[in-house]
Amino acid sequence: MSALLQVEGLTKRFGGLTAVKNVSFALQPGEITGILGPNGAGKTTLFNLLTGFIRPDRGTIVFGGAPLIGAAPHRIVNRGLARTFQLTRPFIGMTVLENVVVGCLAPRVRAEGHTEARACDMLDRVGLGAKADLVVDALSYGDLRRLEIARELVTRPKLLLLDEPFAGLGTSEIEPLAALIRQLHLAEGLTILIIEHRLREFMQLVRRVIAMDFGEIIATGTPSEIVRHPRVVEAYIGRGGDDLEARLGVTTTESIRGTA
Amino acid sequence: MLAWGSLSKTDVIGAIIVVALLATAPFVGSRYIIGIMTVALCYAIWATSWDFMSGLTGRENFGHALFIGTGAYTAGFLNVSFGLSPWWGFPAAAIVAVLFSLLIGFPTLRLRGPYFALAMLSAAVVMQKLSIIFSETTGGQDGLNGLSPMLRSQVSAYYFTLGALVVTVTILKLIALSPWGTILRAIRGDEATCQAAGINVNFYKICALMISAAFAGFGGALYANYQLQVGPDLFDVALSINIIIMVYVGGMGSIYGPVGGALLLIGLTEGLRSFSEYRLWVYTLVLILILFFIPSGVIAPAWVRLRDWIRRSGATFARRANA
Repeated sequence: MSALLQVEGLTKRFGGLTAVKNVSFALQPGEITGILGPNGAGKTTLFNLLTGFIRPDRGTIVFGGAPLIGAAPHRIVNRGLARTFQLTRPFIGMTVLENVVVGCLAPRVRAEGHTEARACDMLDRVGLGAKADLVVDALSYGDLRRLEIARELVTRPKLLLLDEPFAGLGTSEIEPLAALIRQLHLAEGLTILIIEHRLREFMQLVRRVIAMDFGEIIATGTPSEIVRHPRVVEAYIGRGGDDLEARLGVTTTESIRGTA
Repeated sequence: MLAWGSLSKTDVIGAIIVVALLATAPFVGSRYIIGIMTVALCYAIWATSWDFMSGLTGRENFGHALFIGTGAYTAGFLNVSFGLSPWWGFPAAAIVAVLFSLLIGFPTLRLRGPYFALAMLSAAVVMQKLSIIFSETTGGQDGLNGLSPMLRSQVSAYYFTLGALVVTVTILKLIALSPWGTILRAIRGDEATCQAAGINVNFYKICALMISAAFAGFGGALYANYQLQVGPDLFDVALSINIIIMVYVGGMGSIYGPVGGALLLIGLTEGLRSFSEYRLWVYTLVLILILFFIPSGVIAPAWVRLRDWIRRSGATFARRANA
């Protein structure tokens, strides 16, 4: 099976700081993968490189068999690679429905027509149907996250990049959002790459984790391998730390399965 | 920021009433009043065209006079220097203004920051200087004089200007209500999010500026053909700023609001003549009070409130009638 996304030797320097250093990885279609790393590890820069918002100094990105580097952000979206932002950036002053309609107007999906109906369907799916006519300024943080995902989903991505979708959410808001992401993955086979630095929710969601620190990939593996990996433990709680799993009370997919 | 996303039957009826009232002016007003109102309608076209680009996308243009001036001078040259019929001035003015909009917009609209606003401001100033320096062709400070009139009577010129305004507002409002308008307002909301939704932001910004410039240039030619005179004051910074104030007072992003803003402020300038030397003081004070206390503008928000009140009382009336 050929990879949906193939990243090779990706490097980006900002002055003296190397934000992303020689990063290589591949995503298979239908895979749900996490990128883990403390603040400043280069996760968001990696997303900006993949989506064309920043140009890399070195390296190649191949998406769906064609190179991606140098393409403008909107072209990349129209080729099927969509992203959300860490800080939600809605279109202030417009309604929830209008915010999603904009995604339906992307050239690749615009020809399908029925923009408003498609946007409404998507809002129902992410659970915002009842709030379609509200101005976005009035939405809670959790709703804004759902709105971000809805706006990207209407562009019909093959790969969805989620930048810290759980950041700033309360416990009651996290579970439904995680359920939505899980459903997108399971029911539709959407390939998802998800950034998070909070472990708990994240570990139950993904099958494979790429751990980063100081711009480099320091480990790759299943969630339970990653939380025990010495370099990940070091990056998170310093040298000589205890078992990260015990320390953070993390329950991984594997340990759930183990008890079942 | 209010959303101006829909148009109802009440809106259309309201617009028809306003146009009908404006159309009665020649029957009640003096020649002097009609003259002032024709100029005010030109201002309304300029303000509406400014609002289409800057009100919708949020990219402020501090040199709208560039388009007005180039449009007016184009009409003037064709008429005075080449002896063409005044009617040729309209399409030519729109085309020349669009060329200027590409010249400024193409390199600067893709940049973040104030570059577009500053480039527009300085381009208008440069054109003003050039129009004075090359006085042999442009007439210098005096400008071009003695354009041949397009219409014989003052009243028909007034109706022609009113018709041009109605066409301008209708076209721009229809675009603003279409998916294009949604995209332009989304650009105002957040450009990066727009790109992440797959929208080619630069393309839409440049197109919006071209449309805005076309109508401003057309409005410039209209003004030139009415005044039968074109001067460097049509490139003036004060004109650009005045237009922005008219849009703010009218209600940014509403397209129809700036028409009211232009009529209100021109009317205010004229009405305050009795204050003689204190006129500008009072005018400025009124403006500061409006911008300070009602930053969302006067005309469009007032209409939205009135419309909602009409709807509510209409519904109440219908219920009583049924009961």
